[in-house]
Amino acid sequence: MKRIKLSKRLAVVGTVTLSSMILAACGGNNEGNTEANANADASNNSEVSTEELDDEPVTIEMMANLHTPETPGDFLKDKLEEKYNVELDIQWVPDGNYEERLNTAFATDTLPMVVPMGFDMFNQFKDPIRADQFWEIEPYLEEFENLSKLNPEILDNTRVDGKLYSLYQGRPLSRQGVIYRKDWADNLGIEEPTTTEEFMEMARAFTEDDPNGSGSDDTIGLTDRSDLVYGAFKTMSSWFGTPNNWGVVDGEVKPEFMFDEYIETMDFVKEMHSNGYMNQDFPVTSKDDQQAMFKNGGAGIYVGSMGDVLSIHTDATELNPDAEYGVFNYVEGPDGEYNVWAIPGFGSVVLFPKSAYEDENELRKVLAFYDKLMTPEGANLLVWGEEGRHYEMEGEGVNWIEDNLNEVDNDIRPFLSLEIGEPATSGRYEMASTYDVKAEADKLTIENEEYLVHDPTITLDSESHITYGDRLDQMMNDATHQYMLGQIDLDEFNATVEEWKSEGGEAIMAEFTESYQAQQ
Amino acid sequence: MSGPNLNYNQNTEPVFLSKQEKRQVKKQEMIKSIKKNKLLYLMLVPGLIYFFIYKYIPMYGLIIAFKDYKPYLGILASDWVGLEHFIRLFQGTDFWIIFRNTLTLFGLQLVVFFPIPIILSLMLNEIRSNWYKRSVQTLIYIPHFMSWVVIVSISYVVLTLDGGIVNGLLEMMGFGPINFLMSSEWFHPMYIIQVIWREAGWGTIIFLAAISAVNIELYEAARMDGAGRLRQMWHITLPSIRSVIVVLLILKIGDVLELGFEHVYLLLNGSNREVGEIFDTYVYTAGLKQGQFSYATAVGFFKGIVGLILVMLANRLAKKFGEEGVY
Amino acid sequence: MLEDRSVSGRLFNVFNITLLGIIALLTILPFLHVVAASFTTSAELAARRFVLIPTVWSLDAYRYIFSTDTIMKAMGVSIFVTVAGTLWSMFMTTLMAYGLSRRDLLGRGKIQFLIIFTMLFNGGMIPTFLIVQQTGLMNSLAALIIPVSINAFNMIILRSFFQNVPTSLEESAKIDGCNDFGILFRIVLPISKPALATISLFYAVTYWNTYMHAILYISDSAKWPVQVLLRQIVVLASGLNYDGGEYTNIPPPEQTVKMATIVVATIPILIVYPFLQKYFAKGALLGSVKG
Repeated sequence: MKRIKLSKRLAVVGTVTLSSMILAACGGNNEGNTEANANADASNNSEVSTEELDDEPVTIEMMANLHTPETPGDFLKDKLEEKYNVELDIQWVPDGNYEERLNTAFATDTLPMVVPMGFDMFNQFKDPIRADQFWEIEPYLEEFENLSKLNPEILDNTRVDGKLYSLYQGRPLSRQGVIYRKDWADNLGIEEPTTTEEFMEMARAFTEDDPNGSGSDDTIGLTDRSDLVYGAFKTMSSWFGTPNNWGVVDGEVKPEFMFDEYIETMDFVKEMHSNGYMNQDFPVTSKDDQQAMFKNGGAGIYVGSMGDVLSIHTDATELNPDAEYGVFNYVEGPDGEYNVWAIPGFGSVVLFPKSAYEDENELRKVLAFYDKLMTPEGANLLVWGEEGRHYEMEGEGVNWIEDNLNEVDNDIRPFLSLEIGEPATSGRYEMASTYDVKAEADKLTIENEEYLVHDPTITLDSESHITYGDRLDQMMNDATHQYMLGQIDLDEFNATVEEWKSEGGEAIMAEFTESYQAQQ
Repeated sequence: MSGPNLNYNQNTEPVFLSKQEKRQVKKQEMIKSIKKNKLLYLMLVPGLIYFFIYKYIPMYGLIIAFKDYKPYLGILASDWVGLEHFIRLFQGTDFWIIFRNTLTLFGLQLVVFFPIPIILSLMLNEIRSNWYKRSVQTLIYIPHFMSWVVIVSISYVVLTLDGGIVNGLLEMMGFGPINFLMSSEWFHPMYIIQVIWREAGWGTIIFLAAISAVNIELYEAARMDGAGRLRQMWHITLPSIRSVIVVLLILKIGDVLELGFEHVYLLLNGSNREVGEIFDTYVYTAGLKQGQFSYATAVGFFKGIVGLILVMLANRLAKKFGEEGVY
Repeated sequence: MLEDRSVSGRLFNVFNITLLGIIALLTILPFLHVVAASFTTSAELAARRFVLIPTVWSLDAYRYIFSTDTIMKAMGVSIFVTVAGTLWSMFMTTLMAYGLSRRDLLGRGKIQFLIIFTMLFNGGMIPTFLIVQQTGLMNSLAALIIPVSINAFNMIILRSFFQNVPTSLEESAKIDGCNDFGILFRIVLPISKPALATISLFYAVTYWNTYMHAILYISDSAKWPVQVLLRQIVVLASGLNYDGGEYTNIPPPEQTVKMATIVVATIPILIVYPFLQKYFAKGALLGSVKG
């Protein structure tokens, strides 16, 4: 045992030296960055030398959401363990069954020390959080230099009754925008739309004016999918000025579908659908089928995450080398303003169940590990792997090494679900753009931040929403689809809204309103 | 016993004795029978232990249907709420719609799907060429291994209005496009055709096994009597596998509310939910997805009771017709 | 069986053979699509949605899934669980089914009712998890087998088959001095091959498809069967996760990879049936079963 530990320690020292050598080797690239890294190294070095004398490696048991087909190899785990003097015991759980696994672990008192969960799960867990089942971490945060860099606004979005229990994994606030066939628009002499009317005109022209010059009627404008949120609908509803899920009128919290702007958006889609400017089966179309239509030249407009343009472009040019894409975000509604809905700024949070800890010192050690993952060096290792092996520098950003993509998939990608913070707070590299339209998409994502519409209920509580929310959402999603397909009229839609109210909606509105007013 | 008493008690005592005697005789017979069959009981022991440990001990979990279950409190410490969850279920505006939909899909399974594997296996049984028979058997058994996710997504590609093959063919033949995927009229046909497509071949296996146990001499005798193929099928094959059919039918009825959650869930959309929402899909959005285990368990409990009643009825009916039944 | 040479018999044959051929073809088309899709590129798949014969052939999907040994290891786990589980379950099920098949057994009705009851009611995921934990099976492959030792449905079916074994055979064996175990192993099992093959197949397929239990009971992903991998790929590639992949920066697997994984993970269990078919051959039995 002792010998193993000794060799491990030697390996730690060795790796630290080696990695600083590697970093020094690429110093010419970016002076400031290297210096920062060198500093981080120095402090790390001193930490290691003090820790290695008196500290056993701390074992961290964690659950992690598996977003890739396969669980990762040991490469990165070993690296992290050596570097940060920890033993990682990671239980990977396939994404599709994460909630069941988490609920079972919770109910059987077998939660590990670190438990990540998405936004919906987090809301369900507010009850046990209030029942003191998880560590409140705010008192400890200031002890950690890097963790205290986490964005306070986003942290606020994760508070429960004003207290902080979790670290968040950051996500850009809004990547929503439009991708379109630039070559088609050029053929027809259409400019990028800036209003909803021009957008409709583009969809019309792409449908009726033979944008691909084939001489036959084989194209449509918009391709959409069943998802009313991440598909086209919600983004378009922002253009019309609809609030993000919930809106506040005179201090009262109301659902988006009680706003006229929501109805206007539905009418807009209904017009596109009935005129054949979009796919007729969009309420049952999957993301894959939606994108296929865009890639194979059947449709010319895609509303959603602008970053998708990269993979779409790759496949589409294989089929048709002449396909050209463009992105834009700015579309004014009838009121002459551009708005875009925002997510709360995080993709998931990690919680620390008290039952898995002996004392707060253990919690400190776990937080210390996350603190290190928030250094540029730690975050780069976690997200990108090893330079020269998995990624290479390209300007300010990095790129995967094409020849080693299998290794990237196997060693590195799954670990993305362990990331804390975001590039802006951890200082890690971002992906370099080799495709200029993708670079434009990234730029517009940042530009979106000036036009954001936030969901006012992110930090509000409603017990009824947790109990009845999904069922009620489904009811309104169904009605929205049916209205846009012309299967029900406005009176029937409003009747569904009334039904929504009587089956729990009214209670949700009242609870959110009360919670809202208490916070003001 | 003394003489006079014997006479005096003649009227009552023999009756009393015979009752006791009956019991004793019964008891003795029981002991005798158990002793005689002790090896058979021994055979049951491993199975009984299994069912006790892994099926009956966890049954205490059913009580959360009557509690407000909070995972961090545990099953026992959570508060009792009595029938609250059942009341929520029964009073929901959709309860009768869901009940009707569930029974409709069940009816389709029973009336439309159930006979098909039987017919298919009778047809397969009539094929002389061994390799042809085996090839067909193997091919029709393959779809059982494809997940509903894949089947439903292939159905979309084939049936969509946006360039699907079927609507393309319909158009060529001069028919208008049919909105298969988003209509309440086409939901049931689509559901049952997909079930047939995936499960019919798989379903034949058990009947083919039963048919292979039929005595060949019976066919030869029938042929002597000049019976044709269809009559042989009707009078020999079918009666020979009747007991297997009945057992399967009863077990299927017990499955009344297990109609394939994943399949139905993937087929549902706003335009067909009215006819397609069943208990399993309802409880997923209304309970499980939100971690409401108590409510989900209550719905499962209700399904179990309906299933139990139907199985008991079906079993009694089967016994009336001289069949063995399932218990 | 003798040939039936009458006109109606021949017509029947032609009709029967043709119809079954058409049925087989219709059933297999979607699977052919899956196979074809696994041998092409994702671009081709986006262009022609329903592919039966690829115009562009590619082995990339297979190269990708075999670039690590994960799938082969997972297949190894699946094969082990399937073989061991089927043997174990057949042992347990046969004993119980035979015991219950004997009509003179007192209390069999009650026992069978209690077994049927478990098909309709179960305690749910959490109590079952706890019992698996308390019986010390966590994180071992036995957790995929022991808690599902006997499937009530299979057991009742097998019992019905055993009941069709003529009692005369059993009685004569008894006279020859066999005890109940002897009758089961020497008389009943040998003439019940089709039934045993059927139920074995049912078990094998169930074990092959195991996946939820693996996720719940086995935290060491090296012990996951291939269905976990398959399921994960299908779910990811179909974009079924609720946020459409919006919260992760990880690109979903290619459709072709999904198809290739389906093919690889399905073929081992597909080839089981043809091997079992000889047990279904007509007349393979002693010709003395009740009609």
